[in-house]
Amino acid sequence: MKLFKRIAVALALGSALTIGVTQAQDIKIAYNADMSGTAVAELGVAARWGFEAAIEDINKKGGLLGRKVVAVIRDDLGTPPKSIQNMTELIDNEKVVGVVGPSNSGNALAWLHIPQNAKIPVIGATATATEITTRYAKEPQNYMFRVSMVDREQVALLAAYAVKASKNKKIAIIADSTGYGQAGIKDAAEVLELHGIKPVLIEKFGPKDTDITSQMTKIKNAGADAVIIYAIADGAANVVKSMEKINYFPVTLGTWGNLSSLYYRMTGPKLAPHLIIAASTTEDSNERTKALGERVRKNFPTMTTFVCAAQAYDAVTLLAAAITKAGTTDGPKVAAALEDLSGVQGVIKMYNKPFSKTKHEGLSVDDFYLAKWTEAGAIVRFQDDIFKSITPADLKR
Amino acid sequence: MVALLQAVFSGLALGGIYALVALGFSITHTTTKTFNFGQGEFLAVGTLIGVSAVLLLAGKDITEALQVSDVTPFRYAMGLIASVVVLGLLGVLLYYTAVRPFMGFVGLAWVMSTIGFGIIIQNTALAIWGPTAIVLPSPLGNDVIRIGGAGIVPQEVLVLIVSILMMFCMDYVLRKTRFGKAVRAVAHSRNAATLMGINVSAIVVLAFVVSSSLAGLAGMLIAPITTASVFMGLTIALKAFSAAIVGGLNNPRGCMLGGFLLGLLEALVGLWQAEMREISIFLLIILVLALKPEGLLGQRQVEKV
Repeated sequence: MKLFKRIAVALALGSALTIGVTQAQDIKIAYNADMSGTAVAELGVAARWGFEAAIEDINKKGGLLGRKVVAVIRDDLGTPPKSIQNMTELIDNEKVVGVVGPSNSGNALAWLHIPQNAKIPVIGATATATEITTRYAKEPQNYMFRVSMVDREQVALLAAYAVKASKNKKIAIIADSTGYGQAGIKDAAEVLELHGIKPVLIEKFGPKDTDITSQMTKIKNAGADAVIIYAIADGAANVVKSMEKINYFPVTLGTWGNLSSLYYRMTGPKLAPHLIIAASTTEDSNERTKALGERVRKNFPTMTTFVCAAQAYDAVTLLAAAITKAGTTDGPKVAAALEDLSGVQGVIKMYNKPFSKTKHEGLSVDDFYLAKWTEAGAIVRFQDDIFKSITPADLKR
Repeated sequence: MVALLQAVFSGLALGGIYALVALGFSITHTTTKTFNFGQGEFLAVGTLIGVSAVLLLAGKDITEALQVSDVTPFRYAMGLIASVVVLGLLGVLLYYTAVRPFMGFVGLAWVMSTIGFGIIIQNTALAIWGPTAIVLPSPLGNDVIRIGGAGIVPQEVLVLIVSILMMFCMDYVLRKTRFGKAVRAVAHSRNAATLMGINVSAIVVLAFVVSSSLAGLAGMLIAPITTASVFMGLTIALKAFSAAIVGGLNNPRGCMLGGFLLGLLEALVGLWQAEMREISIFLLIILVLALKPEGLLGQRQVEKV
């Protein structure tokens, strides 16, 4: 009996404590993403600290609607079931007013219907699949927004660069055999076609393959002088390592997942700078990115995926601006306000009318850069003459 | 021509690993007619233990990232030994908890129990190391060695050399030494071996120790090529098992042949059509099973009733 009493007291104390910390009138904003499971976990961790930095800044300025903002963080381990479970729990139990996340496109596509039905606005800050923001585009109100790289948009930049850089206009595509890679092949081939180029060869490899020399030899023999790799960090690292083995160094372009330090650690310092990567921002872009980079690095000293921190920061900033504009945390009103924002200063850029009824992408190819790894293991902007010669007309998509 | 040479190198390096793990299947099968279906999980756990040993020797925490300078040949060797020793002990545990209680019974209880044992250690590893891949830089560096225009990294050469050496050792021990004779005697007939004064249970336990240790060795050898993670072993174990079936489960030389055959097939078919690699491997297995069910070098087992 004594034990039961103790447990009862402890429980009562516990709930009293939680009430003490999060008051009923606090505004809860959730972050649900992979922070430990897959190759994109590093993107998720960086975004988490960007997310928290933004909330800290909002509270410093007195919160939202006179109320304190509280961050609710959930790790989805990169698996769809866990991500769905988190989402339900966040919306039903935690009563969050908005969500930022996830890292994996597959997870977003798995739970998209949950916030849509609950009328809770979600801003994606990492996952890139094109379909995430378009699945509910025809509904009266689409609750999915995004401030991140978008597959189709990054392909537009990579393809534009490849077309300009290739001397013989022989461009090859190599992708992993996952859904991500296969969607990438489709996007890249379609965008290249807009440039009037048919890929000279399209090759695939298994996500666990470490030796991709056979496929790369075929690409080499086909005479390609530019290669677009569509794979996450470890896959792309194995492709680049295989290129070294067969002594074949064409212009090599990769998606932004290669900003994960896994890529650098697998290729080693000498090989890492070989890949040209699409990015939405880099730490050396402006004063604001520099400052945020330093803040995030306090919590995540080995961070290389700064873009995600910046995107998550801006996602929260935009959500907060919408709540202020709507004057309420009511989901439908906040979503409507998001579609009518202007003049919101983010870390990446000044957002003027970032979203509208038909457009739910806060960033587009016009905002994207190219980046490269340095031998020392940092990420810097990459702008050569070819990049500078790309005009908006070249960015076909 | 260079392309072909490149594919042969890649295939041999891959095949060496398949062969090593296949050997582990063979040695317990010849002595007990059972084997560890959790070999892939064993391999992964051994590797993670080895990598952690390297980290600890470098004065780091097991959750930290390894830098190239952290992995000296000495530390790597110690990590390898740690992996082999711990897995050897795990092999003893496996035998007493998951194999021995079910041996001699009709049915496939040992299949389920070894799979279960593998899942238990996999999930324990998941709790300790998490699911992320750990990069283990090669102690031999990453400079590509060029032979006839084809490139190969030093670690792949090491894998090839060590696996071939291990195979010759195993082959020699099994064929030429008293111990090897004892193993073969146990394989032939446990009762007769007991009557001849051979300590059968010691031989059987040892077979499991060697089998598990080989998984630990293989794991640490390929970790610098594949990265170490809880899930690294599954595909390798499956291919190794296929290699053992193709070459002959009860013949160590057959297992090696099977391993190299599969590795080469994978690399060479990849040169033609990457999607056809797995298809061709499993077509080969079905073909071998149909034409020579005991494997290419296997001996036909005549069940005397």
